[in-house]
Amino acid sequence: MVVPSLSTRCWWLKRDVNKVGVKELEQHISAYYVPQGITFDAYEERTLGQYTLDLPKLTSAKLIEISACVRLNRTKYLCSLQTDEIVQIIDKTIQLWLTPEYPLRKLAETLVPLITGYDAELVRLELKRFLRGFRKKDLYRFLDEEFDNPGLLDNFRPRKSGGFTRAYGPGLIFHVFSGNVPGLPIWSMIMGLLLKSAGIGKTSSSEPLMAALFAQSLAEVDPNLAECLAVLPWKGGSAEVEDLLLEKVDGVIVYGSSQTVEQIKKKVHQAIPVLGYGHKISFAAIGHEALTSDRYQDTVHRLANDISIYDQQSCLSPQVVFVETGGVISPRLFSQLLASELEHYEKRRPRARLTDHEIHAIRSIRNRYEALAISDPEIEVYASKSGTEWTVIYHGEPGFEGSPLNRTVQVYACDNLEDGLGYLRPYRAYLQTVGVAVGPKRLEVLAHQLAEEGVSRITALGQMTLGVSGWHHDARFNLVDLVRFVDIERSAEQLAEIYDPDVE
Amino acid sequence: MQDKVVLVTGASRGIGKAIAKHFGSRQAIVIVNYLQNSKCAEEVVRDIEAFGGQGVALQADVTKEAAVNLMLEQIVDSFGTVDVLVNNALCHYTFNPKQRKTAWELEWQDYQTQIDGSLKGTFNTCKAAMPLMKRQNFGRVINMVTNLIDFPIVPYHDYTTAKAAVLGYSHNLAKELGPFGITVNCVAPGLTYPTDSSRDTQEDVREAIIRLTPLGRLAGPEDIAGTVSFLASEEASFITGQTIHVDGGLTMT
Repeated sequence: MVVPSLSTRCWWLKRDVNKVGVKELEQHISAYYVPQGITFDAYEERTLGQYTLDLPKLTSAKLIEISACVRLNRTKYLCSLQTDEIVQIIDKTIQLWLTPEYPLRKLAETLVPLITGYDAELVRLELKRFLRGFRKKDLYRFLDEEFDNPGLLDNFRPRKSGGFTRAYGPGLIFHVFSGNVPGLPIWSMIMGLLLKSAGIGKTSSSEPLMAALFAQSLAEVDPNLAECLAVLPWKGGSAEVEDLLLEKVDGVIVYGSSQTVEQIKKKVHQAIPVLGYGHKISFAAIGHEALTSDRYQDTVHRLANDISIYDQQSCLSPQVVFVETGGVISPRLFSQLLASELEHYEKRRPRARLTDHEIHAIRSIRNRYEALAISDPEIEVYASKSGTEWTVIYHGEPGFEGSPLNRTVQVYACDNLEDGLGYLRPYRAYLQTVGVAVGPKRLEVLAHQLAEEGVSRITALGQMTLGVSGWHHDARFNLVDLVRFVDIERSAEQLAEIYDPDVE
Repeated sequence: MQDKVVLVTGASRGIGKAIAKHFGSRQAIVIVNYLQNSKCAEEVVRDIEAFGGQGVALQADVTKEAAVNLMLEQIVDSFGTVDVLVNNALCHYTFNPKQRKTAWELEWQDYQTQIDGSLKGTFNTCKAAMPLMKRQNFGRVINMVTNLIDFPIVPYHDYTTAKAAVLGYSHNLAKELGPFGITVNCVAPGLTYPTDSSRDTQEDVREAIIRLTPLGRLAGPEDIAGTVSFLASEEASFITGQTIHVDGGLTMT
């Protein structure tokens, strides 16, 4: 385990620790971030090996104080920055994170596996892959994708039809982070900053650290910008803390279960944008072209990768796979190879430890299908021998049923991938990503059919868990849905001209 | 393996550690040789003891004849002999494809360093253990080489050349020591992950190797330990002068 040296570690100690106390408190980590001057009366501690996470105890009054503070800091500083300057600051921060020796990265690589139970090597690789998507070039792509002219965020810009338009982001965004994918909150934080919005992020108890560390690294690059952010933990849905805050914000971004998203939406009584990223289901579609003798191993490998990264906790991971007949390996053989590949993956990057509830869910689906398999030769269950590490349930006919996750997958054989489409309808509201492996002639037709069924992202098998900058998250814009467009119409422009004292 | 005296060189970390622990789990008396990291070596000993085996950490630079002789004397004083010798130590080497030296950048000293670490180290321990093994008409020598000799998927010239020398040395030793009831075999691991040496092998290289490997993954230290244990066992008593590749079928010879 690589542990940062004391000299680099000291400064992210609890801020109100007095210097004398540093020696014995050197492994305390602030799992929160607030502007300078904000203090707390009490903390909860969460011990992780030799580290202790300090989590402040929050009251509604304190949260309102913090929200006023970040809002004021935004007015004083963030509003005056050009989008280009914000991009430069974020890029510099990301560059810090892309340096293997960066102390906060090392700390994250040590602590996130302890917090989440994910394999350390997996976390190390996935964190850097994820963060690479926020470099300058990606941020510009992201902005250009959403705004014809990102300059709209800085000034009134001329419109082709006459007049001017400017886009205003929310003054203060309330982010509700989820903890299923480490680092994901950073996406939301960056979105807010690009719109010049102050932000209050509520972290999830299952991963409260990355957002706080990212805010700390922003403070290294530009302390004034970081002063516009607060990252705090509290129990989601706790009315006494949350409700008043919801009256004070100008936009909400919620990641979490569908229930969480709905709860928050119900509590918002003002006309402000609320972007909710709730529960989604993704699947893979494998054509016979990807099951030729030279390709089938690669196909299986790609799928196992998509299933194993973060144990399907990401919405982007496949829960179901349609496998076409007509390749050199049948869907049944494909399932057997997939089982073997998942076993390899388990040896390389063991799955996280599960709760009793999660284990029960896997055992229950295994039992159900094992019982069915006794009388139905078209069903087979391939499962890890030692425990619930991985499960492949093979069906000889097309169908669709979600998975209890944690490396459990349903494989449906079909003569044509199109045969599977009919089973998607009940899940329409939840469908998101499809990882496809089909030849070029079929891609567009299949994509259209999938889109008609409610799918919003079609990507390569093997790349399912990696969203790219500028993607339409759950079929929507990201930034555009948060801003207000304000127009100066041509008439106002023309009328203004006649009031020019120097006009002819 | 009950009460067999097993010396594993370079056993404080990585593959050597896994081998030492494996023998420990089979109730052998394991000498955990190390160069610098006494803390890690002591941890290995503790692990062995937790398995019910007996372990002792002994520092010695295997490239130094006198140090090896002293270590062997200490072993003989305490345990009487050496039954199994596993030559795993090597001069520090980082398997980083991006930073490896090309053929035209290498100097003789690079080769010399690796030859000293691998061949000379093996030579020193073998020479010192030979009289003990000959006397008891029993011995198992297992030398760690590499599958890169047969398939230099990344040409680590100096490292692989030194290991090839160990292979040649082992064949000759097998011929000469066979009549004394001593077997000499080699284990040729593929890229073994994770270890301190292989940690710098980038993900894309690891992925490329996995894709070429029939068994679909990289070796773990425990895979290597299992094969070493087999070669030290009674079941392998009629095998000598052989090399077992433990790389999931990447090389087939």
